[in-house]
Amino acid sequence: MAFLDIAAVTKSFGAQGVLKDVNLSIERGEFVVFVGPSGCGKSTLLRIITGLETVTSGTISIEGEVMNDVEPARRGTAMVFQSYALYPHMTTFQNVSFSLRMAHRARDVIVDKVQKAAAILQLDKLLERKPGQLSGGQKQRVAIGRAIVREPRVFLFDEPLSNLDAELRVQMRAELMELHRRLGTTMIYVTHDQVEAMTLADKMVVMHAGRVQQAGKPLDLYDDPDNRFVAGFVGSPKMNFLPARVQSSGPNALGLAGVGGAGEATLPFTAPPGLAGPVEIGLRPERMRPLPPGAPPPPNSIVLEGQVTLVEELGSESYVHMVLADGTPVTLRAGRDETVEGPSLRVAADPRHALLFGPDGERIRSQGGSKR
Amino acid sequence: MTGMSLPPIWTILKWALALSIAAVALFPIWWMVNVVFALPGEPVSLNPRLWPTSIPAGIDKIRLILTETDFLRAYGISLLYAVLTIAGVLIIGSLAAFEFALFDFPGRKLLFGIVMLSLMVPTAVTIIPTYLLTSQLGWLNTMQGLVIPGVASAFGLFMLIQFMRAIPMDMIEAARLDGASHFQVYWHVALPLCSNALVTLAILTFMQTWGNYMWPLIVSSRPEMYTVGQVVGLFNSPLSHQTVDTVMTANLLAAIPPLLFFLIFQRKIVEGIAMSGTKG
Ligand SMILES: Nc1ncnc2c1ncn2[C@@H]1O[C@H](COP(=O)(O)OP(=O)(O)O)[C@@H](O)[C@H]1O
Ligand SMILES: [Mg+2]
Repeated sequence: MAFLDIAAVTKSFGAQGVLKDVNLSIERGEFVVFVGPSGCGKSTLLRIITGLETVTSGTISIEGEVMNDVEPARRGTAMVFQSYALYPHMTTFQNVSFSLRMAHRARDVIVDKVQKAAAILQLDKLLERKPGQLSGGQKQRVAIGRAIVREPRVFLFDEPLSNLDAELRVQMRAELMELHRRLGTTMIYVTHDQVEAMTLADKMVVMHAGRVQQAGKPLDLYDDPDNRFVAGFVGSPKMNFLPARVQSSGPNALGLAGVGGAGEATLPFTAPPGLAGPVEIGLRPERMRPLPPGAPPPPNSIVLEGQVTLVEELGSESYVHMVLADGTPVTLRAGRDETVEGPSLRVAADPRHALLFGPDGERIRSQGGSKR
Repeated sequence: MTGMSLPPIWTILKWALALSIAAVALFPIWWMVNVVFALPGEPVSLNPRLWPTSIPAGIDKIRLILTETDFLRAYGISLLYAVLTIAGVLIIGSLAAFEFALFDFPGRKLLFGIVMLSLMVPTAVTIIPTYLLTSQLGWLNTMQGLVIPGVASAFGLFMLIQFMRAIPMDMIEAARLDGASHFQVYWHVALPLCSNALVTLAILTFMQTWGNYMWPLIVSSRPEMYTVGQVVGLFNSPLSHQTVDTVMTANLLAAIPPLLFFLIFQRKIVEGIAMSGTKG
């Protein structure tokens, strides 16, 4: 049994199902990030773990002990809220020490613990200030301090950085990673920002519409997504999806027609038996190369032709947006030295990097030996 | 003559109007002071004056009233009545508002509806049943009879609920996660966060209680339970054989606490009235 076990958890508010059969195992010391679009149930799951919401069915257990009926304060979880939820009438010291004071700890123990937390978070000079006199980043640190003094088994963060400006966000992200390294405590972090999730997570849990879509190492999710949602959600710019039709199927060769309109392609792919009809090809923007005018495409490549609609010059690279003949939008990442001459452009992609998705959005994996 | 500009005509008119209203409002009070601090008989003479003529005469009258009548006891009763009512209104109102505003429980909407309905029922309608109830409890002529019917203030509850609703739920939940009990959340988080509203409610309750004439008149018929208002009422009664200046002295003594109170809490009172949208 894992350190923190979420087993078959469902949650409904009235008739609205918010979480549907969520199963997740979290190991001690892991930095886990729940990521997904707004409204997918991330906060609800976090609140269930900490006990602010009850499950409709299923169990939450920590270190083998079922937590469903344990008081929030006794679960060994500490939460940092998006709004910080600092008590505005209390100083930093009073805010950070609140839980200790509620537990009637001895004064010298309180002072000692608060000072330790303050040292870790560089709050030493701010202990006598009230939240109104603190900057966003400082408030954030006070909120974390309030969690630290409780010495929880699990830290829970609900979009803690979303009220900070971009620069501070990057800095706080680094501080959180440092904090995790230093404390070694299990952390669960909620965000809707997949970049934040990729950078922070040991284990990234992608959620959508109340279900866990996939959980794993960020790069595994990036390279080997289980479904179209994960493929599209992880990575920026997004993966391109090209409609296609299965034409022929053989060992390590899947013939596709109608790729992005009229294109044809053969993927080094052993299809599951009976695969036919419409499918989708997923191609990451960095896996496509623009072809200079008149140049022959590399052998066996997928070639697409379309009209350039927008070129975003970012300095080191450019994002080229184009539409294919059938209206499918495609984005590719071009290097500084690659020439992109509009208005019409040909791009080539190595079919080994193409992922295949069924009409239901599920990933279709190659059968047998080949990894993909 | 550049740079000098006359104040706009509207500003002048506004000030003139404000000053005239202030004069009208202040004159009775000034007249009261004038009558008290004058030699007996002077204010009603053919040639009354607009300013005090004899401070010692006024002090004599005040001493007379404080020593010869039960005025001091009435002060005590009124003060106790006000303080206990304020304490009751604040404690009961804030506890109830805490539950109504921040938690859900079965029957919450219905109960809240009933409380709000009671705001619309005029005092005149409830005063007789309240009297009967108080009388059945044997509380006539007692402090509890005076205070308790007034401590459950629907208006106070309404006002505090508005304030407590503004407390972010996150904060309540954070406190819960920090191990605060239900009462500790109320005491350490909710109460301090609506301290402004509590002060305002205390002030409004004081003004209302000090000025309450009807309920004390009904519930305490014995002179030893008279409030300041009732004692002044005695002086003013048609059969009283007091002279005008003695009556005025009693009035002045009755008016001093609220006047002082007003001067001290002026800003809060104005804020409070604006906040509650009613006249105190
Ligand atoms: N207390 C509640 N009552 C009713 N619906 C709720 C409640 N809390 C959340 N929801 C609904 O549950 C869904 C998921 O919410 P939430 O977990 O906050 O999503 P996320 O944090 O991923 O943005 C939303 O549709 C939201 O409206
Ligand atoms: Mg959320």
